[in-house]
Amino acid sequence: MPEAPRSGVIHDLGYRRYDGPRDGTATIARTLFVTGLRHAYGLGRSGRSKVMPFLLLGMSLLPAAVVVGFVVLTGLRSLPVSYAAYTNQTQLLVSLFAASQAPVLFSRDLRHRSIVLYLARPLPATVFALVRWASLAVAMWLFTALPTVLLYLGAMLAGLDKSDQTTDALKALVLQAGLAALIAGVTGLISSVSLRRGFAVVGSVMALIVLSGVVTAVQNIASAEGEDPASVGVGLVSPWSLHNGLANAWGAGLDTPAPVDGAWVPAYVLVALLLIGGCLLGLVARFRKVGTR
Amino acid sequence: MAATASVTTVTGEHTGPPVIATAGLTKHYGTVHALTDLTVDVGAGVTGLVGANGAGKSTLIKILLGLLEPTAGHATVLGHDIDHGGQEIRRVVGYMPEHDCLPPDVSASDFVVHMARMSGLGASAARERSADVLRHVGLDEERYRPMGGYSTGMKQRAKLAQALAHDPQLVFLDEPTNGLDPAARTDMLRLVQRIGSDFGIAVLVTSHLLGELEQVSDHVIVLDGGHLLRSSATGDFLQRTGSLLVEVVGTETERDLLGEALARRGLTCRPRGAMVAIDPPPPELAAEGVAHDLIRDVAAELGLGLMRLQPDRRHLEDVFLEGGARA
Ligand SMILES: Nc1ncnc2c1ncn2[C@@H]1O[C@H](COP(=O)(O)OP(=O)(O)OP(=O)(O)O)[C@@H](O)[C@H]1O
Ligand SMILES: [Mg+2]
Repeated sequence: MPEAPRSGVIHDLGYRRYDGPRDGTATIARTLFVTGLRHAYGLGRSGRSKVMPFLLLGMSLLPAAVVVGFVVLTGLRSLPVSYAAYTNQTQLLVSLFAASQAPVLFSRDLRHRSIVLYLARPLPATVFALVRWASLAVAMWLFTALPTVLLYLGAMLAGLDKSDQTTDALKALVLQAGLAALIAGVTGLISSVSLRRGFAVVGSVMALIVLSGVVTAVQNIASAEGEDPASVGVGLVSPWSLHNGLANAWGAGLDTPAPVDGAWVPAYVLVALLLIGGCLLGLVARFRKVGTR
Repeated sequence: MAATASVTTVTGEHTGPPVIATAGLTKHYGTVHALTDLTVDVGAGVTGLVGANGAGKSTLIKILLGLLEPTAGHATVLGHDIDHGGQEIRRVVGYMPEHDCLPPDVSASDFVVHMARMSGLGASAARERSADVLRHVGLDEERYRPMGGYSTGMKQRAKLAQALAHDPQLVFLDEPTNGLDPAARTDMLRLVQRIGSDFGIAVLVTSHLLGELEQVSDHVIVLDGGHLLRSSATGDFLQRTGSLLVEVVGTETERDLLGEALARRGLTCRPRGAMVAIDPPPPELAAEGVAHDLIRDVAAELGLGLMRLQPDRRHLEDVFLEGGARA
């Protein structure tokens, strides 16, 4: 029976073996990290996937640009908002970025089962989970750090005191790194469990935006009632109030309903670290488990 | 004689160290015994792993990849122990899972490049290899389209391409013909055969159809409810288990003449089309080559020209089914 030539079947060229170099685990992990970081901003993905991250980034940079223009033109002697307070004021945008982009890094591979192709390759599940988290955390950190850098450049342009500004900006960057680690852990874990993008986004919005709103309300009520310890204590339960509390304690120019000081400071640090550690353990357990199915 | 030679020269025995060796491999999921005390060697070339649904094929592959821990037993893959050499194994092995595993919004080209990099190839090597393997599996312009729009056949090809992207020494192909129409199935099987012979990559390929694997495998392993039913070179398989088909020059008269003569010598015969189908020989004639010699002698005595003497491949399915019924 003569067979019609099937499109796409070309057998004329022989198979070539590959005997070139092969990367070790560390290099593969770095490749995965960079790819993940790019994907968090829609780079290397479809044009449509760039819209959300860059729209949010633009929106979080816009007020900073306005502030810079204002300070430079009016010759104001200080920034109208501290670096750390600026991050807090763009809370909604930062949270939305995390909620919308965490599923890109943590749901997709699980939902489409491409995770099995990763896990059948040299990187162990544990490393995969941690690298994914690192990509999201760094993407988050860049998201909050860029407005800080913009404000700082404006402050320098306006001739504000260099050493004061540098100290405040660096404090803000460190706080943002902690915030990014926290938020990436929380939203990553949520996205790796609820594979439907919609559920993951809603879950992350609840954990970041709604929870933060509730905590802030309770904190305000408590401090208005003169219950400062309660107000500070409640701040331990949400990533944003942890960030704000630590910024307040560190003198980064951010007011909380009640000042965070004394033994509360190590408590805030400890809870933040435990939360990050817990999320990482959860992520690792999750990815190790899917490998066996 | 040429006719008999075509039967006896079929061999798939391997030389050299085994590509895969398992010893007492056992996997229990709670009360489900997915694999029981599996001891088997796999050599170079194409090895078919056959079994009904739930026979333990995928479980075996996942254990060999180091993704699942066996309940008991040992195994080595390309000389690496699965207990602590998992990472080394996964560096030199390719895996095509049975289920969908392709992100719909990525093109096959981008995806295979990425997967090659995840296996440790540099950026330019990954691009080159990806273009190569996509061509070999037969994905042309469509390689630049998102995979969500692919037919099942194209998806299977993309899955195969990612398994080959890093030029592995061994590939596990878990039901590569799943969901394919007959023509695409034939294409895929031919490709599997080429991977084993032309590409020089050892292949462990699963299917629940013994008939289709027997066409392309050098060696077949049959699993039944987690037990090893048999493991043998495809040639042995045919000879030892299969009944035979004989055709002589002439019409039905000559056919029946031969059939009756063979029946008198102790073989169970029945006509099938222009041929005589002979059931597996009784024990006294079962030794290697005895039945063939007998048939040849009888044909010569009757002065009949032997046109064809070959294993009856259809019988393989029966062996498989008998095995399945045992479960
Ligand atoms: N994660 C799991 N938990 C519990 N039981 C499992 C799990 N994975 C597989 N099994 C069981 O183990 C047995 C072997 O399954 P396996 O997937 O290896 O079979 P298979 O030969 O690949 O079958 P199929 O042809 O359907 O792919 C089945 O009874 C299956 O239900
Ligand atoms: Mg299976």
